[in-house]
Amino acid sequence: MSAPADIVVDGRGLEPPEPMELVLAALEHLQPGQRVRFLIHRQPYPLYDLLRRHRYRYETTTLASGEFEIVISGP
Amino acid sequence: MIPAGLSLEQAPPFGVPLRFFLTAPWFLVLAALLILWQGPGIFASRWSPATLALTHLLTLGFMAQVMIGALLQMLPVVVGVVVPRPRLTAALIHIPLTLGTLALSAGLWVGLPPVFRLATWLLGLAFGVALTAIHIALWRAPVASGTVVTLRCALTGLLATVGLGLWLSGFFGWGWRLPVLAVANLHAGWGLLGWTVLLVAGVAYQVVPMFQITPPYPPRFVGAFALLVSGLLVAWSLLLAGGWETAARLAASGLAVATASFAGITLYLLAQRRRKIGDASLNYWRLSLISLLAAAGLWLWAQASPARAQAPQIELALGILMIAGFALGVINGMMYKIVPFLAWFHLQAQLFGRIKVPNMKQLLPDAAIRRQWWAYLAALLLLLAAVLYPSLFSVPAALALGVTGAWLGFNLTQVGLAYRRLSRAAEPAPDPSSAGV
Repeated sequence: MSAPADIVVDGRGLEPPEPMELVLAALEHLQPGQRVRFLIHRQPYPLYDLLRRHRYRYETTTLASGEFEIVISGP
Repeated sequence: MIPAGLSLEQAPPFGVPLRFFLTAPWFLVLAALLILWQGPGIFASRWSPATLALTHLLTLGFMAQVMIGALLQMLPVVVGVVVPRPRLTAALIHIPLTLGTLALSAGLWVGLPPVFRLATWLLGLAFGVALTAIHIALWRAPVASGTVVTLRCALTGLLATVGLGLWLSGFFGWGWRLPVLAVANLHAGWGLLGWTVLLVAGVAYQVVPMFQITPPYPPRFVGAFALLVSGLLVAWSLLLAGGWETAARLAASGLAVATASFAGITLYLLAQRRRKIGDASLNYWRLSLISLLAAAGLWLWAQASPARAQAPQIELALGILMIAGFALGVINGMMYKIVPFLAWFHLQAQLFGRIKVPNMKQLLPDAAIRRQWWAYLAALLLLLAAVLYPSLFSVPAALALGVTGAWLGFNLTQVGLAYRRLSRAAEPAPDPSSAGV
């Protein structure tokens, strides 16, 4: 059985903390094995704090456009 | 590595900045009451006792209160250095600052030396603790980014302002002989430019791109601006002290141009924002920067002749543009971002996955901000009109200032109450971050 498709959250160009609100809403609906792919125009340091606090795993990639993609998976 | 953005992991408890933010608006109400009590005469000259009292209700009671509260919040987040014992430090600044501002304003107004001496001790304690705590944090900063350099210059500006203020209190409280007018001009110059403009710039480098979604400030501007302003202020002070009036006016003109360039660049960046729908905090930023630009223009124009520079109406208009326009506007606008954001973030950290946290717009609806904004705009315009026609406009100006101050206090208190209600609702379960501590 394959894992469910990633939930994509595009927070680019939105005013803080809307992007973080969208990510947290997506995390609440995360199925086992599913991941959130989060696109954002700047490093979301406060989000990292929350993710660490609640023991989520995440990996950040800088895109060629200078924007960031963060892949988050459950604790 | 110090991030280019903000990290809230090291943030102090919400109560640390909040006590300053919830006190400050009520000093606007006090300022309004003073204008009402005193009548149109308060707009005759910046040197009259009630006007000096009014100035300090605004600069210490509102501006310094918020600026120091915000610094205690920001330093750990932006610079990555923790202020020691944050709750105790905040109390040791907040209480004497509040009482000292009341005592200083009363002392300036009624001219009683013992009240002055009390104010000097209280404010000396408040700023002594603030400068020590903030300086220790800033000089320990592992990386001297543009923001850190700017904040260091701003802190040096505060040190100069406080030093000159304490020296002036020697005249009022102890009867020392000193060149009061010249020292008071330096005190105002360092306070408004060296401390306020530079602190706003250091904060703007972070929050304008982040909250208004604009391109970043040009790095060369960020690197040069604070050092240029500080250098010009030192030159201006030395030239004034040495009696070289023409050269001092040249330095003052340089300060006006530098300040205008900060206002101009920030207005340009705001015009480039990615999101086209404006919000109320954008109005505050724009009006604040336009006031700064107008103040710089007026100051530059006044440098052309000593008669202009000392005309009471021009001095008053400059003070109103810088204090009620630039400083109050940008501080008011920023508090509307900072207070709901911190409440939301601290709640999110405590409650995530257990209770649904209301979003920022639910904690503080845009409509509440917009209504207070109109009162603020009216207050600024009426204050400027009162410089020209005091007997006509001093009462409406005072009423508008009182309304905008009380409204701001009410709006921020609502956020504080919502925070307390929700975080109490969550108390039974332990905070995961404190597990094992």
